[in-house]
Amino acid sequence: MYNTNKTIVAVSVAALLTGSAFAMSENSNGNAEVSAKIDGKYASNYAEIIKNADGKYLDKAVIEAILGEEATHGRNGMVGKLDPANPYSFEVDDSIDGGNHGNAQCKIPKAFVEVHESAAKNYFDDDRFVARGFGTPIAETALEKWNISVDGDGKGLPDPSVGMTIEEGGQIYVQFCAMCHGEFGEGAKGYLALAVEEDLVTSSFTDPAPMKSVGNYWPYAVTLFDYIRRTMPFWTPNAPYIGDAGYLGMAGYILQSNYLVMDDEGTELEDDTFFNSEVLMKVNKYMPNQGNWFCDHRPVIHNARCMTNCPDDQVGWDGTGDPTQYRQARKLPDGTPQYNVPQRLHEDKPGVGHAGM
Amino acid sequence: MTDKMEEKVALQTDASRNQGRRAFLKGSAAVAGGVMFTQAAHASSGFDPKKAVAPYAGKAELTEVLQDGAARKSLGFGVRKYPYGMPSPFEKEVQRRTLEWLTPDSMASITMSPIHQLHGIITPNGLHFERFHGGVPTINPDDHRLVIHGLVERPLIFTMDDLKRFPSISRIHFVECPANGALEWKGIQLNSVQWTHGMMSCVEYTGVRLSDLLKEAGIKPEGKWIIPEGADASGMSRSLPVELAMDDCFIAYAQNGEALRREQGYPIRLVVPGCEANMWVKYLRRIMVHDVPLQHREETSKYTELMPDGTAQRFSWYMEANSVITYPSPDFKMQGPGKYYVRGLAWSGRGKVAHVDVSTDGGKNWKEAHFTSVVLDKAWTRFELEWDWDGSEAFLMSRVTDETGYVQPPMPQMRKLEGTNNVYHRTAMVTWRVHAWEDGKSGGLIENVQY
Ligand code: HEC
Repeated sequence: MYNTNKTIVAVSVAALLTGSAFAMSENSNGNAEVSAKIDGKYASNYAEIIKNADGKYLDKAVIEAILGEEATHGRNGMVGKLDPANPYSFEVDDSIDGGNHGNAQCKIPKAFVEVHESAAKNYFDDDRFVARGFGTPIAETALEKWNISVDGDGKGLPDPSVGMTIEEGGQIYVQFCAMCHGEFGEGAKGYLALAVEEDLVTSSFTDPAPMKSVGNYWPYAVTLFDYIRRTMPFWTPNAPYIGDAGYLGMAGYILQSNYLVMDDEGTELEDDTFFNSEVLMKVNKYMPNQGNWFCDHRPVIHNARCMTNCPDDQVGWDGTGDPTQYRQARKLPDGTPQYNVPQRLHEDKPGVGHAGM
Repeated sequence: MTDKMEEKVALQTDASRNQGRRAFLKGSAAVAGGVMFTQAAHASSGFDPKKAVAPYAGKAELTEVLQDGAARKSLGFGVRKYPYGMPSPFEKEVQRRTLEWLTPDSMASITMSPIHQLHGIITPNGLHFERFHGGVPTINPDDHRLVIHGLVERPLIFTMDDLKRFPSISRIHFVECPANGALEWKGIQLNSVQWTHGMMSCVEYTGVRLSDLLKEAGIKPEGKWIIPEGADASGMSRSLPVELAMDDCFIAYAQNGEALRREQGYPIRLVVPGCEANMWVKYLRRIMVHDVPLQHREETSKYTELMPDGTAQRFSWYMEANSVITYPSPDFKMQGPGKYYVRGLAWSGRGKVAHVDVSTDGGKNWKEAHFTSVVLDKAWTRFELEWDWDGSEAFLMSRVTDETGYVQPPMPQMRKLEGTNNVYHRTAMVTWRVHAWEDGKSGGLIENVQY
């Protein structure tokens, strides 16, 4: 998707900095410094630019010098950071080129020079280190019970011989989970729903937040198995009487309740499907929302530190420049502005907030 | 004593004698000045005592004779009445609090620190905010172990005593739930700083550098991620890239000079300075070095941010620079027009706080506040600004700039780009509306409003 070959284009950094309030001590002698660019877009001497600016890698002028002016303005800056070559990007090539089913990785951006320097000093450059020997060696096999991690690639899943039909999984689910999450994953007593059909695109900011769940939000199906085996049922987690087969069966049942599929033809999970790690990995490839994820792109706003007569878009309701326009909390009938008003007026049931957290 | 040492001692005593004399002279002048040199002192400094106390002019004088209280007339309690000390009963309202309707269960829930009632930059251990995903276990440290394994040369297991043998470090850092401020995404709901910004605390941790422990086991070159895991019911897990782990992470066994509290991970927790608190795995028992991230529920289903176009942001580790005015705030009432010292907290997940500016007109004009605490890396910093309130309607805001040059944005800018469904990382400014005094008719109301 993105071309990461470094195209070298000579530019003058000094020219880029013209007109910015920000002064570079070392380069203020007027010499045009010739520098290369990554992908023809980003100053490849970003580390030097940051260093000359006293390490201020998130200063508006520094970012403009490295990424160009567009980067500090709204959505352009956000979108720009999807390119792994952008020194401010958390994105790793794999997460894009690996496609939907790849185990997406993110990284510390290259422009966070400080972090990389300190990591090198604390670890990578310590060639004199000799262990102190205060620990005790342990065999990997001794961790058989403790090591219950299953990663996004499915490493750590039980052998394909372990599993049960989705119908059997459903029976276990009804016994141990339905009282909190609902028989079909619709949620109960304020506990999270596990299957919802809600559109995640927001048409109006004032609408209630869409519910996010396994089918419409989660990027990986393996996460479901890892999580329920690790933490559920809530009161007695990692239950031996459910076992790997039971947890797989329940994972299958929850995925089926979300109408998830396991191939290009859209084949759904049937009640008599023997659900094991192989079927789980098939569904993992077809999670509907997995293409909609990106690595951290913050910060997305790069303001100058304005002291007087600041621009309208930084003042008042919706940036209209009028500080007397604002939103207030709802009030109780006695006029006191208070929290939790719909609940206290018995308009809403308690327990509404959890879906968000 | 060698000759050299004697010489040094002689020099030192000479110097200190001189210093003593200077101090004595200064001190005597000050003491005597009150009596003898008043006129002269005033003439030279321009200090006019009458003018200085002028604001008291016209205020009624109390004449009733002050009585002694019980404290003066009877003995107080003796030592060891409380082998572990407790705050005065008069401070009983200073508590961490929760909103019952937030979660259906107290074992997977949150409490907020009363930050409007805290002073300085240290949160007392008993008021540290709480966030649990599977309740609080009571773990015997003698039975607790930490294992480092996976893509390492030599998998190792440590007792708590083993860990304390390693070189130690002590650091003051803030710890903040990324959902701090979450309830404000969809306009405002709550009128208290405890609710708007209380999902954070700042304490001094003591522990062992994570890089020291990982070096001890020797990470293989293909080990790119570390996956810490807790020993509690939630088996909390997250994925951290190796660079982050090697930067300034450590494993803490102490908090504010004593062992960690159970609510904060006793006997050990991970400290990931500047990053979201969910990564600071408590009751830490295992660190798996791995080639890929885990994609745990807490880094996919939760702790990710939904954007207006339906896409979602993941692995948002850093806490952006943030600030809040804790006085005057909606928790207080204005006492009438006059001088106020606007106080608050500023912090940044990317380093030190550089500036805090305060606006009283809703963000149009700003004045730089000064710091009243030490300024530390990834720690709370206290700011203060003198403000003469004329009694008219005012809109108080604070704005932090950190050492990376990042300037805290106003809410409309953040809302425009990120929508209102993110849940986490709402770090834009907040606004306290000070109602016009109108001869006290407003009752001094201070209201949380949103732009
Ligand atoms: C006592 C009520 C209760 C029971 C019974 C229970 N859960 Fe849960 N479940 C919870 C709570 C509470 C959470 C949220 C925990 C947190 O916030 O860390 C949760 C979270 C989950 C989630 C994550 C949902 C999301 O969107 O992130 C899944 C999946 C889940 N439970 C599955 C199960 C399964 C499967 C069972 C049966 C084996 C089960 N639960 C039994 C209370 C319960």
